[in-house]
Amino acid sequence: MQKGFYSGRWTYAALVAPILVLIFLFFYVPVGLAFFWSLFLERPFGGGSQFVGLDNFARVLSDAEFWDALKRTAIFMIVAPSLAIGISLMLALAADRGLRGSSAARNIIIWPKAVAGASIGVVFVFVFNPFLGIFAPLNEIWPGFWNPRIDGTDAFITIVVAQVWNGIPFNFIILLSGLQTIPDTVTKAAVMDGASPWRRVWDIQIPLLTPQLFLTFVLEFVGTVVEAFGLIDTMTEGGPGGATTLLIYKIYVDGFKAYDLSGAATQTVILMLFVLIMVALQFRLEKHVKYER
Amino acid sequence: MTIKSIILPVLAFSALAPAAHAADIEFWHGNTGETEAAILAHCEAFNASQDAHTITCIGQGGYEAGMQKAIAAYRSNEHPALIQFFDAGTLDLMLSDAVLPVSDLLPDVDWSDYNTGARGYYETSTGAMFSQPYNGSTLVFYANMDMLGEVGVTEVPQTWERVIEVARLLQADGHACPFVTDGHPWRVLEQFSARHGTAIATNNNGYGGLDAEYNFNTGPVADHLANLAAWREEGLVRLNADTAAGNYVAAFNAGECAMMEASSGSFGGIRAALGDAAALGMAPMYEGVERRNTFIGGASIWVMKGHEDADYEAATAFLNFVRETEQQIEMTRMTGNLPVTMTALNELVASGRATEPEFATAEMGVASLNQPGNENSRGIRLGFYVQFRDVFIEETQRAFNGEQPMQTALDNAVARGNELLRRFEQTYQGVALP
Repeated sequence: MQKGFYSGRWTYAALVAPILVLIFLFFYVPVGLAFFWSLFLERPFGGGSQFVGLDNFARVLSDAEFWDALKRTAIFMIVAPSLAIGISLMLALAADRGLRGSSAARNIIIWPKAVAGASIGVVFVFVFNPFLGIFAPLNEIWPGFWNPRIDGTDAFITIVVAQVWNGIPFNFIILLSGLQTIPDTVTKAAVMDGASPWRRVWDIQIPLLTPQLFLTFVLEFVGTVVEAFGLIDTMTEGGPGGATTLLIYKIYVDGFKAYDLSGAATQTVILMLFVLIMVALQFRLEKHVKYER
Repeated sequence: MTIKSIILPVLAFSALAPAAHAADIEFWHGNTGETEAAILAHCEAFNASQDAHTITCIGQGGYEAGMQKAIAAYRSNEHPALIQFFDAGTLDLMLSDAVLPVSDLLPDVDWSDYNTGARGYYETSTGAMFSQPYNGSTLVFYANMDMLGEVGVTEVPQTWERVIEVARLLQADGHACPFVTDGHPWRVLEQFSARHGTAIATNNNGYGGLDAEYNFNTGPVADHLANLAAWREEGLVRLNADTAAGNYVAAFNAGECAMMEASSGSFGGIRAALGDAAALGMAPMYEGVERRNTFIGGASIWVMKGHEDADYEAATAFLNFVRETEQQIEMTRMTGNLPVTMTALNELVASGRATEPEFATAEMGVASLNQPGNENSRGIRLGFYVQFRDVFIEETQRAFNGEQPMQTALDNAVARGNELLRRFEQTYQGVALP
């Protein structure tokens, strides 16, 4: 064993124990229970739960609402992170070039990080209010042009905008710090060779930024699956007509509002597998990430 | 001052406390606004009226939230002795094995004194009452007479035909929102079918057994919803989303909309906002259909299992206290909820106060609940009904925003609702409907 900072292995064990206990209690136990419940038909108030094998999975997988929710989740997973990372990348490239005002922008852009998801939801409900919000003048010209309370597409757009707005600050910080670690010498050499700013972005900055891009992609993907909950709950409650019911929100509604503990547990298991597969795919992608400079 | 001088009195007090109180119990409720104020007034008055028991009333912020917390609390054995649940959860609770029928706990109470609508909803097939009706309400019709007066209408419309006639007059006069609703199934499905004497599901809305099936996608309910969708296209009917206020009661209270169907429990807020301009009538009928009773809405108080005898003594005392005529009348005065026993209503009428404006809902609401009933207007005995309401809202919203025709929406709601009923039946296999 390598000689470390602490003398005995028990010291290590004692130091890691608290976090292991916490992870066990608040992750593995609930996950285990979800797997367990997904095989049973559970009564809301307890008592008389019966083993039904894979019936719950058969029920969930044959439910059109489940597939709709999964489809919406997939669209959200592609659209929101692409925008959140794309916009952050543009902002970071601009800030890195030291354009006028970029030092002030660097500060301002990270402020939204301090706002909780639920608060963002409340604010955006006002911003997108069809009668008082930014699109109200358009509604006066074309009545019914914008109404996220009744139009599913409008509602979905508001959730995407809020999620992107929420994601930009963190991505911006990560990408900007990544850009700033790119050695000056490389850029200078490119300039000497007559490379234009755009050429330097495509051939030098983005390739050297892949570790940071990869990190933001993984975090954004997982974030869109689980963090959108606060936004949906405060902005649309899954409506109108279920247009913003992503899988994570459907699980909450089924489990807590509809007392379908077995169905919610089953969908939790499926969602976990879905996220695991997504992350596994992303780590296959990681083979293309260059960590050496 | 020494530490001792602080600790000793505290110890002495805590030693005395249990002797002074036979029981401290909790009562969870789900109301906000005027009704919450009335509930808290009941709790305070109960604690002041005697010193054997203490009740702590805890608001959970909503009926659904209260039910969710009760499920979690019951599973971890932290549940209160008394809890207020709403109408839609009735069958889920009856079969839960987590509650004690109130008529078992209080066998001496004359439960037949409760009005027809209230009894039918919470009574078993053998005549036992499962819960004590508390803040009872029902669906009534509200009109802003200032706005109706502008088009020469002086009477509150009684039929849907008349409602739409008046709505056309208002529209022609430049009103953007003649009639407003949120399309909630309590209003457009349950109360509509009850007073039109039609069922939303077989087995008399489930009273005949757990194998009931939804069937409202044909008949009067389907016609009415198709009408609502057509009237909305015409601009006569508005939904929450179409109003600046974003909510039908708020839109009515703000003078944005002229007419609505809403709970009698909303009357307190409506009167505060509109004063004497607010007029009410029974919920409208289609012409040529005999009027049946409406369902009781609002909520009732349930007794939860797993407590000690002393707690049940306190619970009994509180249930008896809120049943007192005076307390019911106070609730009615503060909120527009209805007196739930006939004794209370009769005394209110005998005292001559029933004609006072703040009691306007009482006689009319109870009259609506006491209309001659039929086998379909007793109540709703359908499992996972809370979830079904969400399904109904989701499908009909898709019709209102043009994604699908109303008939498709109703067919889908029936199909999805039947899946819920079958799962409920499977979940409670071998449990008999009480």
